[in-house]
Amino acid sequence: MRILVSLLFLLSNTAWTLAQEETQYKTIVAPILKAQCFKCHGKTDNVEGDFDLGEIASSKELAANAELLEQLIEVIDTRSMPPEEENGLTEIEREQVLNVLRQILKESFSTLTDFPQSPIRRMNRFQYSNSVEDLFELDRIVFPLPERMMRAYGYYKPSTGKMPDVVKVGSRPLGKSQMIQPRLGGVSPFPQDLRAEHGFDNRGDHLSLSPMLMEAYLKLSRSIVESPDFNSKSVGIWGRFFASPKDESKTNEQVSVRLRWFLTRAFRRPVNEEVLSRYCELVIHQIENGTEFEPAMKMAASAAIASPRFLYIFDGVTQSKVAEKVDDFELASRLSFFLWGSIPDEELLELASNENLSEAIKSQVARMLDDEKSKRFCDSFAPQWLQLERIISAVPDRQKFPEFYFAKFRVSMHMMLEPLLIFETVLIENRSIRDLIDSDFTYRSEMLNAWYEQGKPVKAKPAMIPFSRMKLDDRRFGGVVTNAAVMTMTSSPTRTQPITRGAWVLTAIFNSPPEPPPADVPALPEPEDESISELTIRERFAAHRKQATCAGCHVKIDPLGFALENFGPTGLWRDRYENGREVDSAGSLFREHEFRSIVQFKDAILSEDEKFARAFSKHLLAFALAREIGPADAGSLEQIVSASKSNNFRMRDLISQVALSDSFRTKYNPAVDMNHADTAEPKGR
Amino acid sequence: MTKSKDVSRRGFLRGASGAVLSLPFLEGLTFATGSALAPPQRIAFYYVPIGVVRRGFFPGEAQATIPKFGGGKMKSIFDAKTKVGVHDLELTPTLKPLSKIQDKISLVTGLDRTFQVGTDVHAQCASCFLSSAAPFSIKQSAWPLDRTLDHLIADQIGGSTPFKTLEFSCNSHKDNLESIYFDNISWYGTGHVAPSVRDPKLAYDRLFGTSETKELRNVTDLVLADAHSLQKELGFSDRQKFSEYFDSVRAIELQIDRLEKMKNELSNVPLDEPTEAHMPRGEYMRVMADLMVAALQTGLTNVATMMVGPERWNTPFMFEGLFDKPKSHHQMSHNQKKYIQHLLKVDRFYMEQFAYIVEKMDSIEEANGTTLLDNTLLTYGSGLGDGSTHQYNDLPIVVAGGGNRLTTAGKQLNCPDGTPLANLWLTQAKAMGVNTPRFADSTGVVSGLLS
Repeated sequence: MRILVSLLFLLSNTAWTLAQEETQYKTIVAPILKAQCFKCHGKTDNVEGDFDLGEIASSKELAANAELLEQLIEVIDTRSMPPEEENGLTEIEREQVLNVLRQILKESFSTLTDFPQSPIRRMNRFQYSNSVEDLFELDRIVFPLPERMMRAYGYYKPSTGKMPDVVKVGSRPLGKSQMIQPRLGGVSPFPQDLRAEHGFDNRGDHLSLSPMLMEAYLKLSRSIVESPDFNSKSVGIWGRFFASPKDESKTNEQVSVRLRWFLTRAFRRPVNEEVLSRYCELVIHQIENGTEFEPAMKMAASAAIASPRFLYIFDGVTQSKVAEKVDDFELASRLSFFLWGSIPDEELLELASNENLSEAIKSQVARMLDDEKSKRFCDSFAPQWLQLERIISAVPDRQKFPEFYFAKFRVSMHMMLEPLLIFETVLIENRSIRDLIDSDFTYRSEMLNAWYEQGKPVKAKPAMIPFSRMKLDDRRFGGVVTNAAVMTMTSSPTRTQPITRGAWVLTAIFNSPPEPPPADVPALPEPEDESISELTIRERFAAHRKQATCAGCHVKIDPLGFALENFGPTGLWRDRYENGREVDSAGSLFREHEFRSIVQFKDAILSEDEKFARAFSKHLLAFALAREIGPADAGSLEQIVSASKSNNFRMRDLISQVALSDSFRTKYNPAVDMNHADTAEPKGR
Repeated sequence: MTKSKDVSRRGFLRGASGAVLSLPFLEGLTFATGSALAPPQRIAFYYVPIGVVRRGFFPGEAQATIPKFGGGKMKSIFDAKTKVGVHDLELTPTLKPLSKIQDKISLVTGLDRTFQVGTDVHAQCASCFLSSAAPFSIKQSAWPLDRTLDHLIADQIGGSTPFKTLEFSCNSHKDNLESIYFDNISWYGTGHVAPSVRDPKLAYDRLFGTSETKELRNVTDLVLADAHSLQKELGFSDRQKFSEYFDSVRAIELQIDRLEKMKNELSNVPLDEPTEAHMPRGEYMRVMADLMVAALQTGLTNVATMMVGPERWNTPFMFEGLFDKPKSHHQMSHNQKKYIQHLLKVDRFYMEQFAYIVEKMDSIEEANGTTLLDNTLLTYGSGLGDGSTHQYNDLPIVVAGGGNRLTTAGKQLNCPDGTPLANLWLTQAKAMGVNTPRFADSTGVVSGLLS
């Protein structure tokens, strides 16, 4: 107890010195690691899971290995380690160790020099399409984007702060008619960019250029401005840019004025004179050779959208060798690609040019979320966070689940819209993200509601469908976890897959994706095998899983998947299995919160809402920064969570705090190779 | 090679029966020296994900135990005790589709790769198949992924074609379930993917479309100037990555020039434009194969890769005609005991498509009585030796083509235990004129395979 008191004193005291840190490590952490962890993770020939603590002799060494340190904190915090069979930690020991480890982690980044930096990257397809639309103020889409899972029919009005009770929507990937929408004729897209594993499709390290893509970008740049649908009616900036100036004597001057305005928006930075004059010369040269004003300007516009200054998202070089704040123009781009999936608008650029943006982040985020362009955030972040693309390839067995199919469609095309609409409601109405786990409302079509209640689709329609808000008294439903889409996409065609579901919960809800399964992972015997037909899936799995090495991960994964066993392979509620045995969903979350039903499971997650908020913020930050989030971002996550806690983790607060965080506002882009520069200064840790 | 204009000296005729005839390559055309110009040498790779069922594929393993799970060894569980050296080729059930052209193929067994601990076992299967870098030799990457063999060889033999390399994939691309590391075998370098074409219609338009590309030149000068000025504003590592922009624009400029020269010939290529309608999987694969073969035949490229589908592909398929309901190749592979008959069908199905390519290439005549196949090294391979054990050793490899130079044509060549797959890549690189003593973790060439 004496140790605990002195520790608390130390933690409240800002003057935590390295010497004290070392003492705390030696007296509190080291003995516990030795007693509890070294058996498997000490200096032996047989280190489990590459997790070797035996090499660590001091707090300094631990601090130098931030990734290991962060992992260590996580496994102790979620009680996944030490394993149950071991003697275990007392609650007091656990708290003590966590406090010291967290302090060491915090300390190791207090003199931070090298935030991870997302590399220069081309726009992905979604961003490209949005940016072209916004740059020309098009009244139509550039090309159809199947990555947009939902087609919205005019309901999305975030500035009202209220999601309408009835919304008209369609589902794109499965309903071909939903692709028909006014667009630029003669323009064909390049292939969709793939989502990074445990990440998003905007990840910097995944977006590189190839001749094939460059060719596509070049051809697009021509076909867009030359499309018959690209004209004075469809292009908002027509009069301001493409239309011939009334006073012909001022043509050259007009070319320069218009191009400066246009290129500043396209390139998201003030355009320098050298670049400007290059574009002016192109246009003037064309005009002098007899080209009309309009096609000459189209040529310049086409070059601009093939220019790397348009296509690439990047931060400028950092002047010093340590991380520094992004400038206001870089901040404008970070905000707009985060919330609008597109280039900044004129207000953001105006604030940036007056160097007022960094002071106005909060109000700008509010304005941006109120703008209908924030729908693009919903369209890209939400489905990828939930991995909803998996529902597209989900094909429940036709013999077993014939009702899943109607005409040439599937019920899943309605299913996938439900979690997306819940997400949008939480955003628009600035509700607590706790609603994402357990909401007292949902949105369903008549067909989807009949699916839940009767297990068959009625009034099945593939096209534009009204979804209505329903008050839910039954807490089994509601939120984004227990909906039919997620339950179906995490099942095989014939049965539920509790491990897949558990892994999904860990990844989406707790942002702690399990290690990939070992190569020799055994398949679960199918119930047709007579010897096991009487068993439940849990029993089959238990009988099947004998290897002790698997237990480390599965103790973490399994309870979260078995908790959802009452939802069958197509998302329908069941109390019993086909063999008549009762479904058993009991388990515990982080070996701390016992639950016996799905409602209690939701309560267990909610009792860990801070962990969920941190995990969710980490998803947001990864999306916002287009990179993986590492130990250096721990401080920012802490900042985001603690600032939004008092108001119950409201969605818009969280987003706003992400934009205000150090990680979001910092860049690290030294001019020299820091891995090899002899002159590089010590990195401070 | 300085004679880049030779690509325009080719033509096509449509025979009376409607079948495709091509004029023998450069027949009658000679250089000032009077020597006949040899057809260009090409190389192509056909990648099958998720391994094979060993007992169906490998001679001598028909009675091998069907792998269960457990043990975590990621190694062969059965030793066929095949002697090192050359053997008569036994056409096992999975190899049967090759019977018509068995004289022009060689089964190469005993080749191994090394897994770099720390990723999903499938993650390196495809992405590192053609790079084979030694584990942990690539800094700051979870994958031992380096510039792949196709690009290395293209540096040597792709210099005069419109496309230095072409990448094809038969992932029909409906759900994008897997990340790029599972979905690509061709990489310009670490983290720099060479994306593949998957849509037959888009592929056709890109290769044989007659649309005007010349006007693209109007903007390339301007955007290159922008790129040069932008480069000065970047940090060190961004400058490295940004070189991809210059490389890409330069490649396209060359491509435009060369396509311009070939325009007339290409507009005569007697390939029907693919429709946008859904095709059964086999038909879809053969249309993609036709495009690849035509590209190699016409001199659009000398280097091509074709990927059957992503690694760890969980998407269930009907494989039209094979099954009455959709089956996931990957999920079945985890239960070989139960699904062995299904899996054997899948293995054979993919081998049939390979055989289609080999036969097709062998039907296309080139100079001196050779065929396109004779002038191409075409390799079938998978990144796993068995879809169930997930072993990286004893890989299924078939080398086709190479003409007289394939010394083990019609034979099985069994390599000594532990021969790195990179030895085969080194052998092929050398055969293509790449002057290098080593490739990735190679220890030497596969002796006796190619002369």
